[in-house]
Amino acid sequence: MTMLPSTTVPSSRDPRHTPAWRSWSDPLLVIAVVLALWQTGSTLGWLQTVRFPAPTRLAQSLWELIVDGYPQGVTLGTHFAITMQRIVGGFLAAVALALPIGWLIGWYPALDRLTGTSVAFCRSVATLSLLPLALIWFGTGEASKLFLIGYGCFWVMLSNVIAAVQQVDPVLIRAARTMDANRFDIFLRVVVPAALPQIFAGARIALGVGFMVIVGAEMIGTIVGLGALIMEARTFYRSDITMVGMFVLGALAFAIGSGLEWIEKRLMPWHERVRRSGP
Amino acid sequence: MAENKLPRLAGRTSQGLIGVALLLVFWEGAARFVWRDAQVLPSPTQCLMAAWNYLSPQELARHLGTSLARVLGGFALAALAGIVLGAFAAWYLPVARVVLPIVDLLRPIPPLAWIPMAIIWFGLGESSKAFVIFLGAFFPIFTNALRGMGSVSPVLLRAARTMDVDGPELLLRVALPAALPDIVTGLRVGLGLAFGILIAAELIAADSGIGYLIMQSRETGQMGVAIFGVIVIGLLSLVCDGALSVVVRRVGGRGALG
Amino acid sequence: MSSPATTVQAPLSVSQANGHARCKIAIEQVTKRFATDGPATAPVLGGVSLAVRENEFIVLLGRSGCGKTTLLNIVAGLEHASSGMVRVDDAPVTGPGAGKGMVFQQSALFPWLTARQNVMFAARKRLPDRVARTAMADELLDLVGLDNAGDKYPFELSGGMQQRVAIARALALDPQILLMDEPFGALDELTRIEMQNELLRVWSARRKTVIFVTHSIWEGLMLADRILVLAPRPGRIVLERQLPQTRPRKRSDPELIALYDDIWQSLQ
Repeated sequence: MTMLPSTTVPSSRDPRHTPAWRSWSDPLLVIAVVLALWQTGSTLGWLQTVRFPAPTRLAQSLWELIVDGYPQGVTLGTHFAITMQRIVGGFLAAVALALPIGWLIGWYPALDRLTGTSVAFCRSVATLSLLPLALIWFGTGEASKLFLIGYGCFWVMLSNVIAAVQQVDPVLIRAARTMDANRFDIFLRVVVPAALPQIFAGARIALGVGFMVIVGAEMIGTIVGLGALIMEARTFYRSDITMVGMFVLGALAFAIGSGLEWIEKRLMPWHERVRRSGP
Repeated sequence: MAENKLPRLAGRTSQGLIGVALLLVFWEGAARFVWRDAQVLPSPTQCLMAAWNYLSPQELARHLGTSLARVLGGFALAALAGIVLGAFAAWYLPVARVVLPIVDLLRPIPPLAWIPMAIIWFGLGESSKAFVIFLGAFFPIFTNALRGMGSVSPVLLRAARTMDVDGPELLLRVALPAALPDIVTGLRVGLGLAFGILIAAELIAADSGIGYLIMQSRETGQMGVAIFGVIVIGLLSLVCDGALSVVVRRVGGRGALG
Repeated sequence: MSSPATTVQAPLSVSQANGHARCKIAIEQVTKRFATDGPATAPVLGGVSLAVRENEFIVLLGRSGCGKTTLLNIVAGLEHASSGMVRVDDAPVTGPGAGKGMVFQQSALFPWLTARQNVMFAARKRLPDRVARTAMADELLDLVGLDNAGDKYPFELSGGMQQRVAIARALALDPQILLMDEPFGALDELTRIEMQNELLRVWSARRKTVIFVTHSIWEGLMLADRILVLAPRPGRIVLERQLPQTRPRKRSDPELIALYDDIWQSLQ
């Protein structure tokens, strides 16, 4: 899952001149066609109802989820709140730790050399592989989930904070020195603002990672939360709920990503946005 | 930046390995003398011993092999589909018009969220896991291939055209190599994701593989083996990432990654 | 009225300068070796001496690697000499700041501050009152010809405009001396010529002692009171020329053409 809101049609070849409105009407048309085909297939019985619930059925199930809830009484809102709580909790803890530690490592090359290999290794450990261990250490409650999300977010955030500090343009520091800036001045008024864009990008990616982790973490040992929802529903052959849940998750990820991009634009208007690759 | 005062030991990697060694020593000490409960946090040596005692080499190899086959299989398919589709979408506008909206709609869905649906469609066997791994790796590979192919410098293309290179040849011999750095980024991200998805899938719905092994070890109370499994998977993904870089360099040549 | 170009055979020594106009910057036998240099390698700078008069415009000219940027950094206090000393107003240079304004080739403007805020940054110690500081910044931006660009961010400005802001920022220090390290090197030819004229205009309005580093002979000839050509390894002055005082100068001036040939020769 990436945090990019959408891909743009590239233009390395000579583009035909298409009117601007087609940039949103075309995709809508494609989606509409797909939905129509899907609906037709379901109605005509070509697609099995369990495997491919019809779009109309999905709309109904969405309503059911919002009002009645699944399992009974647990509405979409509740699932959503629990999942978000877990993500945000783990994410904030990870950021709080990663900022000071990442700063130290980025600032002192000796530290970076010493910890580089360990950090790279810990980052490559699949976070969810720690799930069984987390369950033993923290039980089946919220703590184990927060730990997992924190772990996943931490290493990503750490790498980005280190890079952010290391990639501050040295000429900016030299310029500040010619303007009577002491060490504290340089840190607060040059390094921090210069590193901010990359740190923010790291936070964005870390949140994405946290999101992915929680979905997996909720599939084992809990029945509340969006991940748990889609897993539970499958057990009872409510594939329609599962599908709705999937799209809700997708919409949520998209909204979070867009929201963060919006915040970034307001906070750092001076930063020319460079599209980043993947999560 | 603080100036480095430490004498230059033999290279960055060895200093990093010293860091790892220090970490292991610290872990060993903490586990043996502070926690002293091998059920909660075994020391590195205890983990190794547990693995040695409870896991035969053949068993380990079998689980490793299964996991590796799953992840590489799904990844290979995703690489093929992602690069081909991404390249075509970047090259031919009609393809982009049809493919992009669907991809954009499905991409935000976290890969693991596909697991229940995959089980409904493909059952509990290998195909469902392969499918989810494929999906997870596909999107970053596609997105990066699209971007890479789409941002090939027009100057390069024009130069090639003056040398009578056009059509499919232009795509294959000029655009694709020029897009290689972006494509490789997508591959590395996809591979990393694939490992994560592999483990999750094996934890949830499998009866073989390293993820399953870790889950099993927890149920039998073999913490040491579980930790061993976690580290093995971590090492495996690092090794695969390194192998990917090597393969790319071999295939593309030293100048490939720009 | 122009006086004929005087050619000096050896660099003006410090004691000679003291007899004439006040010596603003005294560079005394400065040597610089890099830590990575072996004992057999010639030093980056080998015993360079130079006396700069107050409000003089000095140009250091040479190929890449001849040590001119290193020398400038030592005068700025950003680097330390291996031996020898630099004095500004008879006080030894121990560190950067303290009235040694500097302009870099990459404008080094803080991207998160507007043009005005960048200029104000330099004066935050000198003018604690924000209102006064803002007024000063606007005045300087006006001086460099950017009166309505104050609210723009660096990324919104062209290369030439960024360098103007950089100059205004350096002037905001109310500096004793101005050190410029190939400030127009990244600009295209036409903008470069425009900036040279702008610099002369600003300099005539705010006289400062300037040391300007470049590898463009014509740039040096257009700007300098005195040109010094450096040769690499060991970094040393191989040629010194006084230039006619009239400005603006014409490329067609035979005196300048003769100087050009001299300098070109010394660079081979």
